[in-house]
Amino acid sequence: MPAYTLTYPLLAALSAVLLPFAAFLLTAVLGKKAKHGTISIVAISLSLLAAGYAFTQVWGNTPIHIQWHWFTIGRHAFHVGLLLDNMAVLMLVLVCLIALPVHCYSIAYMRGDPGIHRYWAYLSLFCFAMLGLVVADNLLLMYICWELVGFASYLLIGFWYTRDAAVQANKKAFIVNRIGDIGFLLGIAILHSSFGTLDIQALFGPQGLLTAPMGADTPAIAAEGTITSGWLTVAGLAFFLGTMAKSAQFPLHVWLPDAMEGPTSVSSLIHAATMVAAGVFLLARVFPIFDDTTLLVITTTGTVTAFAAAYFALAQYDIKKILAFSTISQLGFMMVGIGIGMYHVALFHLVTHAFFKCLLFLSAGAIIHGMQHAKEKHQLDIDPQDIRHMGGLRRHMPLTFTTMLIASLALAGFPFTAGYLSKDALLVHAFEWAALHGEAAIAIPLVLVIVSILTSFYIFRLLAKVFFARPSVLANNDIHIHEASRWMLAPMAFLAFCSLFPIFTFHPLNDGQVWLLHGLVAEAPTLPPLRPLHILVPALATAATLVMATLAWRWYVNGHYPIRTKGVLYRLSERQGYLNELYDAIIVRPLLKLSLLLLWIDHHVVDGAINGMATAGRSLAGIAAWIDYHLVDGLIRLVGNLAWGAGHVLRRSQTGRVQQYVALVFFIVLVILLYHIFAQA
Amino acid sequence: MNPHLLTILIFLPLAAATSMLLVPSAKKAAYKYMALTTGLLQLVLSGAMYHLFHPKGAGITDERLYQFVDHVPWIRLDMGSLGRLEIDYFIGVDGLSMPFLFLTSLVMLIAIGASWHVQKRVKGYFILLMVLDMAVMGVFSALDFFLFYIFYELMLLPLYFLIGIWGGARREYAAIKFFLYTLFGSVFMLLIIVGLYFSVINPETGAHTFNMLHMMDAANYVPDSLFSAIAQRELFGMPARLLGFIVLFIAFAIKVPIVPLHTWLPDAHVEAPTPVSIILAGILLKIGGYGILRVCLSIFPDAALQSAWWLGLIGVVSITYGALVALAQRDLKRMIAYSSVSHMGFVLLGIASLTAAGTAGAVFQMISHGFLSAALFFLVGMLYDRVHDRDIYHFRGLASLMPRFTVFVAIAFFASLGLPGFSAFIGEAFVIIGAFNAESIHGLLPRWMAISGSVGILLSAAYFLWTLQRMFFGQPRLKGGVEWAAALSDASPRETLIMVPMLALAFLLGIYPALALDNINASVLALVELVTGN
Repeated sequence: MPAYTLTYPLLAALSAVLLPFAAFLLTAVLGKKAKHGTISIVAISLSLLAAGYAFTQVWGNTPIHIQWHWFTIGRHAFHVGLLLDNMAVLMLVLVCLIALPVHCYSIAYMRGDPGIHRYWAYLSLFCFAMLGLVVADNLLLMYICWELVGFASYLLIGFWYTRDAAVQANKKAFIVNRIGDIGFLLGIAILHSSFGTLDIQALFGPQGLLTAPMGADTPAIAAEGTITSGWLTVAGLAFFLGTMAKSAQFPLHVWLPDAMEGPTSVSSLIHAATMVAAGVFLLARVFPIFDDTTLLVITTTGTVTAFAAAYFALAQYDIKKILAFSTISQLGFMMVGIGIGMYHVALFHLVTHAFFKCLLFLSAGAIIHGMQHAKEKHQLDIDPQDIRHMGGLRRHMPLTFTTMLIASLALAGFPFTAGYLSKDALLVHAFEWAALHGEAAIAIPLVLVIVSILTSFYIFRLLAKVFFARPSVLANNDIHIHEASRWMLAPMAFLAFCSLFPIFTFHPLNDGQVWLLHGLVAEAPTLPPLRPLHILVPALATAATLVMATLAWRWYVNGHYPIRTKGVLYRLSERQGYLNELYDAIIVRPLLKLSLLLLWIDHHVVDGAINGMATAGRSLAGIAAWIDYHLVDGLIRLVGNLAWGAGHVLRRSQTGRVQQYVALVFFIVLVILLYHIFAQA
Repeated sequence: MNPHLLTILIFLPLAAATSMLLVPSAKKAAYKYMALTTGLLQLVLSGAMYHLFHPKGAGITDERLYQFVDHVPWIRLDMGSLGRLEIDYFIGVDGLSMPFLFLTSLVMLIAIGASWHVQKRVKGYFILLMVLDMAVMGVFSALDFFLFYIFYELMLLPLYFLIGIWGGARREYAAIKFFLYTLFGSVFMLLIIVGLYFSVINPETGAHTFNMLHMMDAANYVPDSLFSAIAQRELFGMPARLLGFIVLFIAFAIKVPIVPLHTWLPDAHVEAPTPVSIILAGILLKIGGYGILRVCLSIFPDAALQSAWWLGLIGVVSITYGALVALAQRDLKRMIAYSSVSHMGFVLLGIASLTAAGTAGAVFQMISHGFLSAALFFLVGMLYDRVHDRDIYHFRGLASLMPRFTVFVAIAFFASLGLPGFSAFIGEAFVIIGAFNAESIHGLLPRWMAISGSVGILLSAAYFLWTLQRMFFGQPRLKGGVEWAAALSDASPRETLIMVPMLALAFLLGIYPALALDNINASVLALVELVTGN
């Protein structure tokens, strides 16, 4: 039952959400005066404190729910409210915990940008939207925040709006996300028409209308309400469509690599705790709605995404693009976690991934920053994001190298890192799930194993080329790349610490001891454990990681590079599967052609018919006018003309001369006489 | 409280027009200040009425539930065997009309603000504007069909001259097209009005009547009359009541407008001067939607029920077709005109759903579109005033040249494409939800209609964002070069003063829709109950 009194945890959560919004408004009003970003940083720091307090109060306790009446439409009342359960407060803290370092990092990273005041405003709006999303107590409110997250990311991706690539990327991001929004909206419509409420607790809570029996293989059937199993599947797929766009799942992931046009600090936020995390969070929230079909679709999509993105990452040269595909791939892992019913593990991976992925981006940002400075200082004609121009940076930026190494090991799932705990847990559970689902299902965990191997490879390729390989462009000159400034290094160091095991468990090799999973597990399902896998899978994965590291070293550092860059498989990876070209050919251009065709029809057929009617009317009027003039009026004029003509002729007889009149009379009398004579004869 | 508040609201502009006649033409500035004063007075008055309005006053069929009612006999004429002619001056307000009265006074005020620099025949211009104002207010308040028709026709006259004299290059073509198109609808409407008059009897006096509320009650129909539901008379091989519904629907649908009866709109919008475009998009289109609710649905509920599927289809077609054609436009004003077609399609879909959520969503969408489209046309006008060009491809990188203007455009675009936090989102979302619910409530609309309608939401993002990208982002590059760059000054204080309240209102209604919904709800419920019976 929702509460109606504002207790301290609720107040804290509410202020955690609203403080960044206040910062956004204030920054927007102050305009150029707010370029230092103090307001935004103070706001997010306070948000972190408030979120931390709410976390300590709520974690492990009963959820707190408060709502206020918002509006009534027809007979249905809608509410705004906060729902603080373990999931919500965890995300609340995570978002603030990621956002604060990014804010600090931005001070140095964005220094001197002429539009910096806009940057702070957008960043605060972004945080507000994401924080609102995680505490929203109903789906409509969640949808609103969901779209606002998309809107804020639109602003941030297109932050450098004079760059064509940036504004094309943000348009693409927003439109692709809109496809997902339609799914979300339809999901809402289905639930609303079936149950008449959108309240998360009422629908998905322990006593909710859609309470699923625990276990991924049992179909969720509504306890009451009138949803048919067909519409239940559709609703589940609709919500998943929303997630596919927001969390960049294949084939709707295309916006995410392009979104790299935004500032790197923004990328780190988008890829870690905000935006893409929203999709995973939504699935965890509405989890009871998914039936077997939907779960299978989610699992398959996640697997395909994980594989495709890891594959595309192999041949990229842009440091940020590699990381972008890495995010997509890891999101695929999380989807599999949801699909196999272990959404608490998926959320755990979301948390660990947030830390190390944010760190990867911030480190990449530090490198790009350094390269950019070198480029400007020495007038080099290079792309500061291209890893082919880097190399040997280990010596120039030792601290950045260290943090990047930690983050990379976490991504590869190396022991003692946070990534090891969450990713290997997902792998193990995928095997356990496959054991229950027939022989074909084994493909899923096997593909995931391949993906982990690919992941290790591409991240070590990145490390090798950036830090170890022989310097290419930089070698000839006496160029020195500066280590990042303190404002950037401090957040990176913090995140590096969070990417290691200690904050999650004291037992570095056993995910069973993770407090975070224990907090969530009360509400999450479990699969029958297969003990040997818990040792075998991590051991194999670690071994594979080591092999891949050696391989990358041999190929890229020692120069034993065996692959031709002209091969089909290589180019397929480099060009991201030609998906952008495909969409352009089968969706964008036909749509534009259709719109031009409709414009032509509108002009020539629809409006043509109207103008045709007007022309026809005018012609008809012309004919009528001709008839009127020549026939109707002509007849009248004929009568008049005849009279006039007769008068004109007879007029000549009126001369006024008596002799003529007498002669005429004589002539007429003569005619009459002659007539009588001849008539009688 | 003055019992004739509504009458004062309607005829205030007429009084202003009369006094304008008395002011010598040489005093050009006097007219706009008189108009501004009238507009402000109307806004205060309608705002006060909105505040006084009781949300439980459902209205629809029950005269006692109307508010601010003024009901006096107007024309009484003994016509021998045809009985006594009974025409009343009968006006009143319920939840369907109250928001529109406020909207009208607001949009009128904005239009007056946008007319500040009119140079041509100032006196005539403002007098016509005032007459138009009065007619529109009258349409939204009239409850006697004869009175309604008079106000309805009276609107055409000032609009015809406003477009035809103060418009752009093809103004005469646009004006005559607009006039004939609308007249085409309303002439046939008159026939139905006469038919209804002879079918309906005032139960109190026994005389035939034009009272719309009497027309809504099946008991008042003469048993064997043309439009009697019991008699089931046919006309041209068609049930007479269905025919009556269709004719009235077409008359109002031209105004909405629906595809394929929409082609007057782009021409009229593009050729009309900015203030008239604002009025056209802001209010005139809503008269179509309002007419469908007040007249078509209320008087012919049975026919409405039969036609719901077709109405929904027309709505969906308008949504997608309008959006696609908008995508193909090069002219910014035309693009916005077609976006209006698309957004008004949602209104039709919502009405067709015949659910409380859908219909309330439709009314809300009309209000929201009222000031959002007014804002959009005002913004186009700002650009056109400066360089006399509207071609999307002639501009680029305007964000660097006109930052404040760009912020306004971006907010108006995002609000129009249904970003949550702005009013259009509430309207469109509940139209979709209502249309979706229709199948489970009474099965009038199939669910694919709601799904196709939501494609319009996607397309609107495409054309608005594409325009933003093409015109406002990137490096500045203008067709007119340096000359244009100099002319393109940022929004002036007057323009800012006009834009801020409109966008603020869109925001306010977006985050607190109860401001409008509380007053709409009771009437919508009563209307839906009247039509569907539950």
